[in-house]
Amino acid sequence: MKWFNLLRDRIRALFAREIVIEDIDRELRLHVDMQTDANIAAGMSPDEARREALRSFGNLPKVRDAAYDVKGGGFFETLSQDIRYGARVLTKHKTFTLVAVLTLALGIGANTAIFSVVNELLLKPLPYRDPERIVMVWEVTPEGRHQNNSSRGNFKAWREQNRSFENMAAFTDQRTNLTGEGEPEELTAQFTNPEFFEVLGVDPLLGRPLLPEDGEADKSNVVVLSYGLWQRRFGGQASVIGKPIMLNRVPSTVVGVMPAHFQFYIRQRTGTGRPAELWTVLPMPETPEADRGRFLGVVARLKNSVSTEQADAEMRTIAARLSGAIPQYNKDWSAEVLPLREQFSGNVRRPLLLLLGAVGFVLLIACANVANLLLSLATSREKEIALRAALGASRLRIVRQLLTESFLLAILGSLVGCALAWWGIKALVAISPRDLINLQNVGLNVTVLMWTLLLSFITGIVFGLAPALHITRLNLNDSLKEGAKGDSGQASGSRRLRNVLVVSEIALAVVLLASAGLLVKSFINLQQVNRGFDSQNVLTMVVRLPEAIYKEDPQFVRFFRQALEHIQALPGVRAAGIVNYLPFYGGLGSATGFTIEGRPQPLPGEEPTTDVRVADAGYFETMRIPLLRGRNFTDVEMREPRRVVLINEAMARQHFAGESPIGKRIDVQMFDTPTPTEIVGIVGNVKYESLIDEVQPTVYFSHPDLTYAFMTLVIRTEGDPAALAPAVHREIRSLDPNQPISDVRTMNQVMSETLSRARFNTLLLGLFAGLATLLSAVGIFGVMNYSVALRTHEIGLRLAIGAQPRQVLVLILKQGLLLTLVGVGLGLLAAFALTRLLSGLLFGVAAADAATFATISLLLVAVSLLASYLPARRAMRIDPLAALRYE
Amino acid sequence: MPTDSRYDYVSVRLKRSKVAKDKADLLQGTLDMLILKALSLGELHGYGIIQRIRQLSDEMLNVEQGSLYPALYRIEQKGWVSSKWVVHETGRDAKFYKLTRAGRRQLEAEEASWDRLVLAVTKVRQAT
Repeated sequence: MKWFNLLRDRIRALFAREIVIEDIDRELRLHVDMQTDANIAAGMSPDEARREALRSFGNLPKVRDAAYDVKGGGFFETLSQDIRYGARVLTKHKTFTLVAVLTLALGIGANTAIFSVVNELLLKPLPYRDPERIVMVWEVTPEGRHQNNSSRGNFKAWREQNRSFENMAAFTDQRTNLTGEGEPEELTAQFTNPEFFEVLGVDPLLGRPLLPEDGEADKSNVVVLSYGLWQRRFGGQASVIGKPIMLNRVPSTVVGVMPAHFQFYIRQRTGTGRPAELWTVLPMPETPEADRGRFLGVVARLKNSVSTEQADAEMRTIAARLSGAIPQYNKDWSAEVLPLREQFSGNVRRPLLLLLGAVGFVLLIACANVANLLLSLATSREKEIALRAALGASRLRIVRQLLTESFLLAILGSLVGCALAWWGIKALVAISPRDLINLQNVGLNVTVLMWTLLLSFITGIVFGLAPALHITRLNLNDSLKEGAKGDSGQASGSRRLRNVLVVSEIALAVVLLASAGLLVKSFINLQQVNRGFDSQNVLTMVVRLPEAIYKEDPQFVRFFRQALEHIQALPGVRAAGIVNYLPFYGGLGSATGFTIEGRPQPLPGEEPTTDVRVADAGYFETMRIPLLRGRNFTDVEMREPRRVVLINEAMARQHFAGESPIGKRIDVQMFDTPTPTEIVGIVGNVKYESLIDEVQPTVYFSHPDLTYAFMTLVIRTEGDPAALAPAVHREIRSLDPNQPISDVRTMNQVMSETLSRARFNTLLLGLFAGLATLLSAVGIFGVMNYSVALRTHEIGLRLAIGAQPRQVLVLILKQGLLLTLVGVGLGLLAAFALTRLLSGLLFGVAAADAATFATISLLLVAVSLLASYLPARRAMRIDPLAALRYE
Repeated sequence: MPTDSRYDYVSVRLKRSKVAKDKADLLQGTLDMLILKALSLGELHGYGIIQRIRQLSDEMLNVEQGSLYPALYRIEQKGWVSSKWVVHETGRDAKFYKLTRAGRRQLEAEEASWDRLVLAVTKVRQAT
């Protein structure tokens, strides 16, 4: 009952304060009136009666106050008063408010955005059932290269022999042509064992997943669509189930649709550059030839009782057994087990964690700034506060009111921060590498937001409370007296605290800038790595010919030769060629073993390995890959199989050191039977897979000798390559109107995407470093500005007794410089210690690179001087007369 | 049912710092009881309550007018009395207070409490 009444009274007073007061007044007045009447009845005169009544009542205003305390707005009312007062204070000190709110907002926004991304990538569970039990199983080459694909034969053996996995499925991504209704479209299909969906544990949205029966010999081809494909091409209609479609001109039936956002995209080894949009059965013929090629990825689900380490150990054992059992194929090959999460985000974990560190730093800096600002503001309001205390405000009341101001700041900062975070996340997603799973779905994480808001409120309270308590403890009498302003009157403790805050800010900024500088340098180095080809003005596209139509090898070869003839005749085309896979895009180079004729044969399984590519003479010309020795493919060799190959410099150096490889014969294990080929030329090294790693020995086959059904066209153009794309497409269509092309992009775009991850890291860190520098500059500005304001009297005195304005300027600048130098010094020490954490991300630059450190130190000093300049100028302009006159 | 354990004088604990506060609370509680008692005999306005208490105590208890109203408002918030404005006999409006059922129960509790206190103190006083 009591609480209800209490609340009701409080709310009523909040909205109708005057009525409540009037009510009380009326009652009290009535009381006095009645007493007056009684006095008159007792014989006093009316005036005397009233006076006596008032006197005996006591202090009327005091009683009214006491009564109002009970009936009035109480806590809510004082709160609302505090808020309104606080708002006025903040409006009055506009610069302070603006800077403080922005600082808080930047800290909060940055943190929330990054935390949201980190949460999505590193913490949020993967969209499969029990994702922690899903692992990838890879082979390891004898040379120790990890995450190598497996083969059908090995996969079957693994599946048979293992005891660690509940289920295992092999898969590979391939380009497929979808025809039938609508435009022919090339997309990526994932060929899998039917167990694939069980391993991942995701049920389809519509229809059914692939089932074991689908793999049986006489069954017709079935297909499961992705959500995106279903919406895009089949209008999201449920009637798609059972619909016939043509996949590479092979009739297939749609049996299911997967839920939205379902994908399984392993970029490195099986990726075609894009996530798969449909799933169909991986053919598993029983022929021994089919067992050999290593092109499969393997995903498995651990049994509940088995750990990743145990599974890894078992797989290694099985691999060792296979190495002994089938040495001509498996000698010294091993296997490894990798948790799925690691597969997806392993190589972003470290940079993301570093980013978290960076953002934490920025938040600290922001808090330090806000603390500084609050301290400064509180000190400059000493007089005002002293006055309130003198007028009767209790210490609690004053502290509460100052705290309310901090809260208001925190709220404002948080609101702006939320907006920044939302926008920041969008920006982050836009510039992020495309293959980061989940990132496309990231949104503002509410938990993270709550934590960040909490943090900002704590900052507000702590840094608002400290000065509040400090100020109200001062001897208020002194503050009211004249001449007590200035450095002398201020507690040196608070000044030291401010200086410490600024120095720490600068130190943190140094660390961030150093890190960013190192990354920028790495990035530049990365971009300048000689890739072995010229990516300027090169248009690329992939053409995949359906095997159902072009049944024989010569037909594939002929199509591409004709296409090239047409394309080369186009105006604006300087050169054109074909290759199976572009550098850095869409697939591995099929590493395999080879032997050199005339040399002692290595034991089976111990042959040296080489990468294999398929290209024509035009490819080297278009990409400006130099021919170092010998000759290129001739026209005949590009039309008919002639068993000639080109090798790259790395192959020449590693296996033909001191002799000429031209004319020598090698047998590359790409075919069912031994196939010796003659080396006719050496071409320059090309970095195909990694800018950082060594170039592998590579053998180039001509298309007739090793016929792929798809090839990538490369076209060197006069002007903008993209402009020529429609013309090229027309030429292709003129050969076959139903032939789609895909992945149309310039080589520069391909390179840009390759560098996208490094660019992402660099941009982000650079952004934060910039932010930190900005905040530090603001911090210095604030401190110096404030210092000057307080010392107006002292400076005026100096000027009055003869100091030159210039000397005052220098004085202030020197102070700022001192703070900066201390900060930079500390920061450099910290940077030395911390940048070694970056060493995994650096390329071509040491973690303690002197040049970088020196540059950023100078930069920060310059920025600080600039920030001190304005207050210094203000000091210089002080009118000594005015300063001395008004205390 | 006593509302405050302060009135449980079977185990008296007088913390030095609380003495003054306890004294004020004791007075507070007593005033509440007097007001409730006065109202138990019929509805009254504030002025009337003071008069009645004076009457009932043969002029010995003169409640300070300033402390009446805050106490009255507090009692009202606790739900022991209710108030309404009525037209006074001389044509003026006056705010009349009436004891509620909860108030009546509180009055009984306070009286019982007070009696216990008096008994205890008397016992102590009578010891030689």
